[in-house]
Amino acid sequence: MSEIKQRDIENEVTAQQAAAKKPWSWQKKFGFRVLFIFFLAMSIPFSANWYKNVFTLDWSRPHYRDLYDIARFQPSFLSLFGGQRSRDITDSPSGDESAKKDGVKKNKIEKVGAKKAESKNETGAALPPKRSFLADYVDWGIALVFALVGALIWTAFDRKSKSYHILYYWIRVVVRYRAGIGIIGFGFTKLFPTQMPYPSLGLLNSNFGDFTAQKIYWLSVGVVPWYQVFGGVVEIVAGAMLFFRKTSTFGAILLAAALGDITFVNYAYDGGVHVYAFYFVLLGLFIAADDFPKLYNLLILERYTVPFRIYPDFRKPWLRYTRITLKVLTFVIFFGVLTYTEVINFKYDPYKQPATAGVKKLRGNYRVSEFKINGEVVPFNPLDSTRWQEATFENWTTLTFKINRPVLIDPSNGGGSPMRDIQRTFEISGVAGGQRAFHYYADTVDKVLYLQDKNVMALRGGRKGADKAKDAKPKEDNWISKTAWQHIGDENKMIDKAAWSTRRDREFAEKPREVKRHRMVLKYDTTDGSRVILSGINERKDSIYVVLDRYDRQYVLPESTLSAGKY
Amino acid sequence: MSNTNISSPPVWTDREKLIFRFFFLFFILQAIPLSVDFFKTVFGFNWLHISYGDIFNLTRLSAKFLPGADSFINWIIVAIIALIGAMVWDKSKYKNINYDRFYYWLRVVVRYRLAIGIIGYGFIKFFPLQAPFPSISNLNTSYGDFTDWKIFSMSLGIVPSYETFLGAIEILAGLFLFFRKTATIGAAIILVFTGNVFISNLAYEGGEFVYATYLITFALFVLWFDAQRIYNLVSLERPTAPNSFKPLFVGKTKTLRLVLKTLVIFFFVFLYGFKTYSGFHHDPYQFPRTKGLARAAGIYNVSEFKINGRVLPYAAADSIRWKDVVFEKWATISVRSDRKVIIDSANYEQVFKNDKDRDYELAGTAGRHYYSYTVDSVNHVLLLDNKNPHYKGEQLRLNYSHPDSATVILSGTNQHRDSIYVVLNKIDKKYPLKLSRRKALKL
Repeated sequence: MSEIKQRDIENEVTAQQAAAKKPWSWQKKFGFRVLFIFFLAMSIPFSANWYKNVFTLDWSRPHYRDLYDIARFQPSFLSLFGGQRSRDITDSPSGDESAKKDGVKKNKIEKVGAKKAESKNETGAALPPKRSFLADYVDWGIALVFALVGALIWTAFDRKSKSYHILYYWIRVVVRYRAGIGIIGFGFTKLFPTQMPYPSLGLLNSNFGDFTAQKIYWLSVGVVPWYQVFGGVVEIVAGAMLFFRKTSTFGAILLAAALGDITFVNYAYDGGVHVYAFYFVLLGLFIAADDFPKLYNLLILERYTVPFRIYPDFRKPWLRYTRITLKVLTFVIFFGVLTYTEVINFKYDPYKQPATAGVKKLRGNYRVSEFKINGEVVPFNPLDSTRWQEATFENWTTLTFKINRPVLIDPSNGGGSPMRDIQRTFEISGVAGGQRAFHYYADTVDKVLYLQDKNVMALRGGRKGADKAKDAKPKEDNWISKTAWQHIGDENKMIDKAAWSTRRDREFAEKPREVKRHRMVLKYDTTDGSRVILSGINERKDSIYVVLDRYDRQYVLPESTLSAGKY
Repeated sequence: MSNTNISSPPVWTDREKLIFRFFFLFFILQAIPLSVDFFKTVFGFNWLHISYGDIFNLTRLSAKFLPGADSFINWIIVAIIALIGAMVWDKSKYKNINYDRFYYWLRVVVRYRLAIGIIGYGFIKFFPLQAPFPSISNLNTSYGDFTDWKIFSMSLGIVPSYETFLGAIEILAGLFLFFRKTATIGAAIILVFTGNVFISNLAYEGGEFVYATYLITFALFVLWFDAQRIYNLVSLERPTAPNSFKPLFVGKTKTLRLVLKTLVIFFFVFLYGFKTYSGFHHDPYQFPRTKGLARAAGIYNVSEFKINGRVLPYAAADSIRWKDVVFEKWATISVRSDRKVIIDSANYEQVFKNDKDRDYELAGTAGRHYYSYTVDSVNHVLLLDNKNPHYKGEQLRLNYSHPDSATVILSGTNQHRDSIYVVLNKIDKKYPLKLSRRKALKL
């Protein structure tokens, strides 16, 4: 009995091995050629910016974003052909930056006041026009066309090959590393939770129903930093598993499962990174697909299974040392340097939260006890459209207040890692309900706050401002005097020295295109911050006088036990 | 019972046998609902008019010796019993059983128990009942006034399509578990998926983590059966032998097996699925069912407020004056004021039949006081009852008039027998969630 069994098994083994060693059919060969070119095109960066970033990178003073940008790319052939890619909402640039960009489709926006306004680039970039489901994946389609054409040419020239075991091995290596590096870049922003910040005071005070869906998702992860850390661990473990042959299938399955979930989340909540998430699902499935038939044979058919793969001969010295070098390099950069820069980022410069500490005395929740416009007292009334209802001074350089007057919602999610605090908009993006957030430069000598609206959607006269700015000579802007600037200091140097970087220097050295923002100049007067008197000119050129009284607001939501930043 | 054809029987060492006996007893005890709630759950409803909530509560039964919330202490008790049992078994004449067969049957029990448990949750997500779209009151509460768990539930509630997707995955995994050959795949899905649920329960301080752990241990056990084989094949890339034990059912046992399997799948998949489907359309369980005051649903600004005849003006901080009032579609009114709220926090899943027990709307949130009410439409009186158990017996009796669709006037006595007079004006509130997501919104 058992002898017969034994012989059966041996027959089975030889049969399966023979089947694996057979030359491939022409369909299989053609299919492989298509897949090979397709996945190669998907895994190699094709954008000039990517190479610019890599070659201008200052390794002596790195910033986490330098490495993140190496890890974060996806096929973008359209831009090669001069077409416009709609931006990722996750990385939608802030107004100043996108004001530089041209040629974004104009979107119709609801009437502003009585005049019809058209959104200019600065809003267009943040608000992609409605596209069909498939249009998002046009770059993949182009990659597939490349692959088909390439495969036809390849077929014409290559008549000799019987099978492509070794090439199959290499394309899997390429995809494994591409997927691993990509997901690790993502994972680290969660491991040191900066991707979804804990809500600021102004956000905690906003009504749940005043947020957009995407904001609700981001916040719901932000309130549980340890869960975000767990998400980061899963992504990094999946990535690390992909670097090793023995675990790559498990890593790929984990990657496809986790990112499949994230893809669905992005569709459901309008997160905007569904294409990039699904990209990893595709890569993961390609890697794992090699083992699926074997597992099916073993578990479902319950048959004796013989795995079969042909590997390149790694005994050749050049191959061996190249392999070791590349592997070590990957680990040093994406585990060593990346960890270091992420820790620095988490501690001193969490990339969505403003990094500069706010004025120490002015922090907390404030009730607006008294409010005058042009000398006239406006009594408290929740329906009044000019009076501030409540205000907060955050730990960083932001003043928020609520007015019962609608405002265009900033649809971005405050990503993109800009260096200037004013461009970090997580406190205001996706928030309705009359919430305002102003960034301030504080002149602590003369006790003056120079405030600018963080919401670029609410630009004053977007019609005029952006057109005017196209003139060759923008007017010298001196709403903050030289003396005041001396008192304020250099924003670039305001964060902890450990977090200074070449990237930061470069960005501050660039003159930002002035976007016409709402502005206020307010003197502040306080002894210990429990009562603050603000007086000056508001964004509508009216003179205001505001008395703020700090109060201790008890929240039900547990405080974060893992706070980013140093304030 | 069943014959087996064994190819090359794996040899069981004595240590393996001992461990197996322990796990056998442990999982059997865990799977049989030896619960103090058993009789309450099983005989607490009418089997002829069974509802999806009853079936759900059935699927959640696990070994429980101590009344109250589920805890790991029950596990320890089970483990001790199993350990003693395993020792005694060692000394008894039943020591030499066919371990392969026992292992097979144990895996059957564990598979089915796990499938039923996961499908129980699957259907109330597939038809988005578990996390409903937030009520008007919830939408008009500050973000910081919710517990973690409530935030989690509401954040899921705004995207029914995603909830359905999560439910579909759970149901699919459950269906895989009903069949021996696909059980491992089902268990793997559950591990990835319920592992996430488990961690989020810990993170959001939900009350389900004991039960989530329970399901995870079951899934681990099911997966363990094939784990070494998979590792051998995928990681070590060696030829691998499949499972060799196949139960043989003949004659009566064959029929019996078919009948039992059909019954279980019919009851927990078809009947339960149908019941949740109709429940979703006729009786979602989180919010009360009784209709509220006609044409009143919405949020109202409190434009006038008198107490004992004295007018209280608008104020930024006032613990007596109301700020705004919500009339839900069902018979609940919620009032926002600066008066402190002691939170009612039930955070594990129960399905309640009676409106007065349905406290989802106020569970885990401060900022507003919630009142269920009855309408006496003849005398135009609303009788308000505070739903929060911490404010038991707090009643307001208010005459109402509804002069036009945008105004409600309430006058009567509050919980302290003070007379109050309140004028409410409806606010035309718009929510980004309910508007187009691709247009610029001005709110």
